[in-house]
Amino acid sequence: MLGLQVIINGILSGGLYAVVAIGFSLIWGVMNLINLAHGSMIILGAYITYLITDKTGLDPFLTLPVSGLILFSVGFLTQKFLINRIIQASVFMTLILTFGLDLLFINMNLSLFTADLRSITTSYAGLGWKFGDLAIPYTRSGVFVFALILTLGLFLFMERTRLGKAIKATSFDREAAGLVGVNVSRVYALTFGLGAGMAGMAGSLISVVYSFSPVVGATFTMKSFVVVVLGGLGSIPGAIIGGLILGIAENIASVALEAGYKDAISFILLVGILVFRPRGILGKKFYAEVKES
Amino acid sequence: MKKTGLVSLLVVAGGFFLLCPFFLNAYVLRILTNIFMFAVITQALNIIAGYTGYPAFGNVVFFGLGAYGTGIMMVKFQLPFVGSMLVGSLLCVLFTAVFGLPLLRLRGHYFAIATLGLNEATRAVVDNLTNLTGGGMGLSLPLPYGTVQANTRFFYYLLLGTSVLSLLFSAVLIKSRFGFALRTIRSNEESAEGFGINTVRHKILSWMISALLTGMAGCIYAYWMSYIEPSAVFDMTISIKSFVMLLLGGTGTLLGPILGAFFVEGLSLLTWSYLLNYHIGILGILIMAVVIFSPRGFIAFLKDRLLFAGDPFTLKNREPASGRRPER
Amino acid sequence: MLELRHIGAGYKSLQVLWDIELVVHQGEWLALLGVNGAGKSTLLKTITGLIKPFAGELRYLENTINEIPVHERVALGISLVPEGRRLFKGMTVEENLLMGAFWYNDRKKEKEQMDHIMTIFPILKERRKQAVGTLSGGEQQMCSIGRALMSQPKLLLIDELSLGLAPVVVDDLMETLISIKKSGVTLVVVEQDVYGALMYADRGYVIQEGRVIQSGEAKKLLSDPIIQKGYLGA
Repeated sequence: MLGLQVIINGILSGGLYAVVAIGFSLIWGVMNLINLAHGSMIILGAYITYLITDKTGLDPFLTLPVSGLILFSVGFLTQKFLINRIIQASVFMTLILTFGLDLLFINMNLSLFTADLRSITTSYAGLGWKFGDLAIPYTRSGVFVFALILTLGLFLFMERTRLGKAIKATSFDREAAGLVGVNVSRVYALTFGLGAGMAGMAGSLISVVYSFSPVVGATFTMKSFVVVVLGGLGSIPGAIIGGLILGIAENIASVALEAGYKDAISFILLVGILVFRPRGILGKKFYAEVKES
Repeated sequence: MKKTGLVSLLVVAGGFFLLCPFFLNAYVLRILTNIFMFAVITQALNIIAGYTGYPAFGNVVFFGLGAYGTGIMMVKFQLPFVGSMLVGSLLCVLFTAVFGLPLLRLRGHYFAIATLGLNEATRAVVDNLTNLTGGGMGLSLPLPYGTVQANTRFFYYLLLGTSVLSLLFSAVLIKSRFGFALRTIRSNEESAEGFGINTVRHKILSWMISALLTGMAGCIYAYWMSYIEPSAVFDMTISIKSFVMLLLGGTGTLLGPILGAFFVEGLSLLTWSYLLNYHIGILGILIMAVVIFSPRGFIAFLKDRLLFAGDPFTLKNREPASGRRPER
Repeated sequence: MLELRHIGAGYKSLQVLWDIELVVHQGEWLALLGVNGAGKSTLLKTITGLIKPFAGELRYLENTINEIPVHERVALGISLVPEGRRLFKGMTVEENLLMGAFWYNDRKKEKEQMDHIMTIFPILKERRKQAVGTLSGGEQQMCSIGRALMSQPKLLLIDELSLGLAPVVVDDLMETLISIKKSGVTLVVVEQDVYGALMYADRGYVIQEGRVIQSGEAKKLLSDPIIQKGYLGA
């Protein structure tokens, strides 16, 4: 039964990791930009949810649209006025730029919210379903369900809507996209906003199950890396698979090894995959050829 | 003619720094020592990232390895500093020997991320080997003998010497056939193979040298601070800072890393003193400003003004800002 | 229809075009000739807005369009079939064609145009659900032309029609272009194959090192001694 519990925990974590990584994957895949500020955007979303639930007692899941919208705007404006200036530069430069941006966000979060660890406790916090020895908490299940909804939502958006197609086309060939009428800089701003919005909503989900502070964002950025590398760049199904693999691997590791090695697992996975199968488990690049710097 | 001007400038600067401890207070000396340390780290980074074209984002892992190598030797085995430093440096070389082969197969940002992962994984492992490393509680090293003032001077000169050494070493390296091979690899690795350059061996060696220098900085740091912990010596901020220094100073140049170190550390410490609450954010803004406004660095900017024409190894940044190649 | 007045253009560090004077008449087939690197592609990119000219005026249908961004030019009726096809690699033939119709966002028009394109290039109908990467060079070129046609252009620019294609395929394409021209579309075709280009075109311009060195009716150019010596190997 322990094995099954571990697997279930892994799946629940995996779903969350998928939605955490998805905005990151989108931005990287479409704009060839590795957003190191991703983790801080997630944390910002968590704080927004924290504020709202603290002040109004609203259920954290209901705050998703708010964090999504706020982070979307933040992302949109950041891209339009800041990142747009170096969009033609190498990926390496964008890494440094977004690191600087991340520092800015961290400082902002520190100033606004202090360095204290925060968490959210809902009325149903400790409760859940029980099947014999198996325990499936309500909070984690809720997070998992919403994570899947958001992921599916983004997938449908990319495949079915006009804007989604424009984004895809831009990721394949930005000049050709411009030639058929796609406003590329607007697409980039929207993509970054979308990625940020997803991060914000992921942050809201995070706040339900983890405690957080301004400086823990980097962990989520790192995990997003791993998920993307595992599942393949710019692929939404890949993000789900990558997330699940990471979630399950981590949970197995935390049982088999000492708890501290849990984070090390994700990096070992990362390095391993990069070395042995850089195209990820699915081996496909859905949205963009990885451009070398 | 221009070159002798440059050399005499360097000699004057060298002389100045040699005499500093006699008229500057301890606080300023420590700032300079810190700058020299970063100069070493950045110079080391320049070798693998600037000249060879492999952006080792996680190069700070060697800083940490050097620090812990030294620390463990001194604490657990009572080895004197010099011996411990040797072990620490050896550890770094070993690391590149083991991980260089798989990791250097990756390119561009994949390599960058892999080294990042390497750093984080190493940090996590060091953090967990509590019996050996003290884990999260850190490791306290034996204090150096001598008065505080004497020690301050000691470490000042030690790091000044190390940074000069790394500068000279880079200068020799880059003019050598080895250095030329590295730059060829950076321009076009496939062609380099075609010319008969064993790219694998060159890349690993390049990273080894970079690791060695970075490790040495870490070793000295550990002895200097007398206390290290994983989050401090495997800190990504050190890596990023040195990248910014490299960018600001100009990649692939000799003096770039040093100029960059002065500027960034200087600014960093200024903001720390006066704007403590915002110093992180200000560093962030500085980093963004550098990337947006001067992606080719100071040296390129100065080149137009002071004509560093005498230095034939001032190279342009690898990618043109537009990212497009001019039409055939 | 289209006029380039004293156009100078190029890339950040390199000027490629110098003082270009060029006119395109409505309904004609204009050939742009010159060797590799002469600046023909740059010229087309300038017309479509991928490059902004350093100097000079770009006039289209009596309006100066220098400042109009690239993504708005397709709505004006200017469409480019880029060098190297530049299809959207991760998409199917059908998806690529539909992207050509992106700017007008009209389902009915899309369907009409699609049917029309499929009639012109029946092979695309056959392969409509296939990923474009699986198509042959000639088929890809057809898809690229199809995508440009989907946008209902008044002015169709084609960069290096015959590059990498078998002569038989090229002949087919040329014939297809004739019928496209008959339907009222003005054509500007960049070609390295001087003879082939001038056989089908009405007029031509010869570009060398970024300048126009010769222009005139296609038949006249064919018999021009400079052209014969420099480009036709006479």
